Amino acid sequence: MSQSKLLSLPDDPRFLDMAYFEQGALPEEVRNLDSLKPEERETAIKFWQAVKSDFRFNEYLRGCLNCGVCTSGCPAAKFYDYGPREMIQYMMRDAVDKIWEFTNKKVWACVQCFTCSMRCPFNNEIAGLIMLLREYAVQFALPSAKEILAPYRRVLYTVMTLGNQVTPDMIQPEAFPDWGPQAVEESKNMDVYRKAIPVDLMQRTDVGWQPSLQTAVEMMTIMIESGVMDSIKKVDPDLYDMVMDIYEDRKAQLEEIKEKWQKGELNEDELPDSWLDL
Amino acid sequence: MSEQEQVDKKLQEELQNAFPMADTVDWNEVYQRIIYRYSTPHGLQHVKEELYKLEDKGEIIVHHIKPYNNPVKMQSLNGIPKTIPTDKLWNHKSCGQCGHIPGYPTSVFWMMNKMEIDYLDEPHQTSCTGWNYHASGASNPVALAGVYVRNMWRAYETGYFPLIHCGTSFGHYKEVRNTIILHKEIREKLRPIMRKLNMDIVVPEEVVHYSEWLYTMSKKAAQQKKYDLSNVKAAVHTPCHVYKLVPEDTIYDPEVWQGRRPAAPSGTVQNFGAKLVDYSTWWDCCGFGFRHILTEREFSRSFALFKKVIPAVEEAHADVFVTSDTGCVTTLDKSQWAGKAHGFNYNLPVLADAQFAAIAMGADPYTIAQIHWHATDVEGFLRKIGVPVDDYKEKFIQYLSDLREGKAQPQYLYTPHRKIDFYISVPERVKWYKKDVPK
Ligand code: SF4
Ligand code: SF4
Repeated sequence: MSQSKLLSLPDDPRFLDMAYFEQGALPEEVRNLDSLKPEERETAIKFWQAVKSDFRFNEYLRGCLNCGVCTSGCPAAKFYDYGPREMIQYMMRDAVDKIWEFTNKKVWACVQCFTCSMRCPFNNEIAGLIMLLREYAVQFALPSAKEILAPYRRVLYTVMTLGNQVTPDMIQPEAFPDWGPQAVEESKNMDVYRKAIPVDLMQRTDVGWQPSLQTAVEMMTIMIESGVMDSIKKVDPDLYDMVMDIYEDRKAQLEEIKEKWQKGELNEDELPDSWLDL
Repeated sequence: MSEQEQVDKKLQEELQNAFPMADTVDWNEVYQRIIYRYSTPHGLQHVKEELYKLEDKGEIIVHHIKPYNNPVKMQSLNGIPKTIPTDKLWNHKSCGQCGHIPGYPTSVFWMMNKMEIDYLDEPHQTSCTGWNYHASGASNPVALAGVYVRNMWRAYETGYFPLIHCGTSFGHYKEVRNTIILHKEIREKLRPIMRKLNMDIVVPEEVVHYSEWLYTMSKKAAQQKKYDLSNVKAAVHTPCHVYKLVPEDTIYDPEVWQGRRPAAPSGTVQNFGAKLVDYSTWWDCCGFGFRHILTEREFSRSFALFKKVIPAVEEAHADVFVTSDTGCVTTLDKSQWAGKAHGFNYNLPVLADAQFAAIAMGADPYTIAQIHWHATDVEGFLRKIGVPVDDYKEKFIQYLSDLREGKAQPQYLYTPHRKIDFYISVPERVKWYKKDVPK
């Protein structure tokens, strides 16, 4: 039996959507690229190409009934002008302009609860697709990513240098007035409250738990080698410089201590209680 | 033609009649499409098979659950067994818990002491960095895999099996594990980075959340219960990242909600004798949102209050909200105070299952469960179940003032680390940690 006689199924089952008159991706001329500013057009196309060629894209986008189940359970859709169905439809239609618009604003509304992913009858990994847009928004240093990351800078600094997301002492009354009087009380007496936690790793106020110096350096190495620091450089060059300086210092300190330890020359008593005080 | 041949021929003819298109369809293609469309990208059975294949090929090291981990077989969503190690555990702490809800991990450690479970808590650990990833997108799959494998390597070195404290770390690590196993290109980019750190790719046999461990242990733990909880109406919020991220790989049990909702933490609450109460938005998010809780809290507050706290109180008349993740405890607890300004004075106490269980077993609510970090009325709830809160509080206030004046030394749940452990990870470290631990 020859291959040509086989009943052939459509090439890409994702593009079978009877809600649309025309099947498949929209042809170039039908897409409303005119709605984009001329200087954005090229980036928008490149951005979308990058997302589509990511190794996760085909695995995550599998088809769409346009049923809206994802949006009906979406917490962000209840609060913002936002919905995951909309995004999936743009992706299915290859609608560069719409995806560009979506990435530059709406995509940041998602709270990453994965309700949509669990509910989708097509098993789309919707929350994962949202992360793809966000990841590439950072990599392309899009204005929306810069805007989102600006108030988040201190957090990013803590993550990149200590591998912790938050610190106890970030709960300051002026930043968290809505957390009530208890938070104010804690922030005023942070030192003694932390000392009253019965685990030595958790007694500092400037980090949730204290990682070892080696651990911090190893994690920073991973961030550098895997290209995370390169993307941060594009979004926030000052932060990049700061983290890289710290990395060099810490690495040198670690090497010195390791060498001494290996030679049996390290006097532990001379070390400060924490390398954070070095 | 022999009789057998005639039968075969007849059979072929009948098959042809029954399925006239049988030889004009490429069944392989159909199977492929069925697998593509109706299995998740992270089918658990498939991932496990691939895991062992990679181990056989020598591509990865699998951290196996050993008999000394006292494994217990539980069931995951689709009935595939999930092995929960219950002893010799390496605690993978949560940055949000340690930072803002310190009574969460200390309750876990306290219970392990109480049940004589051998464990490690090391400084050679980072967070999963998943909070940052889901909030900002400032990471990538290779970095996330590197962070996971580095932590898993440190656990593997010690022979203790990793137990993941954070719900996000748990969900996120399940996903990262699948990515490592299913994608060669990720392993190829990851390997040189790990080699640079003198490590190899280690993948534990199971990704286990502490709430799964706690549920598995809960009947035994409840034997040491000190207070009667039979009058407690507890509403449960099951954290999204625990059961919606890689949904198949979470434990379910016919004894809990007839197996229709995740076993933990509902089952733990149930096994401790409290009454589980239901509310219509049990499945909904808490409002944490990763970035939202830090820089867009009007969303978190409104969502937590209107979609979770109010239904739990108005529909279910809950006395307490029990949950099992960092972000959920924080959001549900911290979002209620601001509601007062608008006349929504609910003040529903919020506790992690670990705190709930430890307190029920007699843990000090302040030095161990650290309830003074909570914004809701946990004290009121504890009075209701008969905990002598005021005695504990008086002692704690004294302890704080003694600490401040240098009259008391900090108390510890396990022997503090040596100074060198804060600097480098010495391979023989476990011997040091363990040598003077009273058995
Ligand atoms: S739930 Fe799935 S199939 Fe339905 S609209 Fe959303 S993405 Fe499409
Ligand atoms: S993951 Fe995002 S898009 Fe999906 S339901 Fe949650 S908030 Fe909505």
